Amino acid sequence: MKPGFPILLVMVASLSAWAAEMHAPAQVTAGTSLAIATNGSGRGTFYLIGPAKVSKRDIQMGSQISVDADELERAGRYLAILCASDGCTATNFSVIAAAPNRLSLLVHPSRVPVAMSNGITTVAFVFDNFRNLVLKSAPVEFTILPKDGSELRATRQSEHGVAWVTMTSARKEGITRIGASVGHASEVRVVQQVASDACNLRIKASRVNRELLVETDPVRDCSGNPVPDGTVVSFTMTDMGGKTTVDVPIKRGIAKITMPIKGRARISVASGVVTGNDLEVTGG
Amino acid sequence: MKNQLRSFFIFLTIWVAGLLLLRFSVSAGELPRVELSADNIQPRPIEDLTAKSVPRDYALAWQSMERALEENRSELLDAYWTGLAKDDLASRIKTQIGARLRTRYVDGGHKLEAVFYSPAGDALELKDHVHAQLQILDEDKVVYQEAMIVDYMVLMTPGADRWLVRDLEALSPAKPE
Repeated sequence: MKPGFPILLVMVASLSAWAAEMHAPAQVTAGTSLAIATNGSGRGTFYLIGPAKVSKRDIQMGSQISVDADELERAGRYLAILCASDGCTATNFSVIAAAPNRLSLLVHPSRVPVAMSNGITTVAFVFDNFRNLVLKSAPVEFTILPKDGSELRATRQSEHGVAWVTMTSARKEGITRIGASVGHASEVRVVQQVASDACNLRIKASRVNRELLVETDPVRDCSGNPVPDGTVVSFTMTDMGGKTTVDVPIKRGIAKITMPIKGRARISVASGVVTGNDLEVTGG
Repeated sequence: MKNQLRSFFIFLTIWVAGLLLLRFSVSAGELPRVELSADNIQPRPIEDLTAKSVPRDYALAWQSMERALEENRSELLDAYWTGLAKDDLASRIKTQIGARLRTRYVDGGHKLEAVFYSPAGDALELKDHVHAQLQILDEDKVVYQEAMIVDYMVLMTPGADRWLVRDLEALSPAKPE
């Protein structure tokens, strides 16, 4: 054997190993095309394995492999595999989310009592045009527009693609619009603020024929908002015969009931955990 | 003597192949190992019940994904996947079928770190540090295999009786072990 032969063999082996090489960038932005350089000659098979798509095609070794933008829309890890007659080689690269341009907004609850501390929470998930979660921090602007108030704004940096705020509901009932915006995207949700529990619940009594009509003053919460019709008010009468409780829904802002009274009786009122005044009455 | 040695090697080969097959079939049936850490979660802690159900459901989600990608059966994703994550995997399976490809994972375990739990309890974001053996098969020929370590960002949302994976996004390229 000639002394140069092993060296030639090593060179040929190196060349054939080199022939299966390909070069892809380490990172590309979602929705942009890509060219992967290959070396060598002859035909080969190229595989692209992505989070949402795989593809396989025959290629000419030594040429550039074009990967279209629509094959690289989903962020994540991609694997490029090139197989030739002498075996397969592979490289991987990352596709990262494009600029923030979509929002997914979660606002809870949809109805909230007025003046409830940290009663409303708003969570914004930041996505790009291809619905990839944008993990790079981005400023998200939250806006709160009460029914009869001025707009409030607050900016929060997203972390891991999420930004959130909590807020206390307004003192007046009605609709509040809660929005968030990032890039060219904005989303709005509506929260209905309703009266809170009854406050300063008061009843009065008057005689109607032989019965006693007991009715509340207009039922309002502590901020002066009328408590919604349908809210239950409980009237309890205690007399010689024992205790009787009647639940009555509020209608047109007040709750009322007629009661037959014999002898002395005490009437009390409550709505939920709130109690009102007591009345001492005497029947005929 | 030569014949005895030959028989011995044939026996050894069959025995090793049998062991490997047994090992693989056990791996495929096992639930992936998932450890959850919620020490740095914001803005609220997770409930005890959630801390138990999330790793269980996430393991079941990965198990179903691994089977779905190996057997090219997207219906296996129905139980633990939803939204975009499910759409992505279903799309991948569809293209795998078209290209006659399959993906095989041998799951080496997950370290989940909960990073965000929404105040209303309707979204949970986690980081997953995954160890796995990955194989890409063209028909039945393995064209690529690696021991991979990949970090994922995971978004889970509650379903009627379980947590579902809504988004799964790899954070970094694989590093060979």
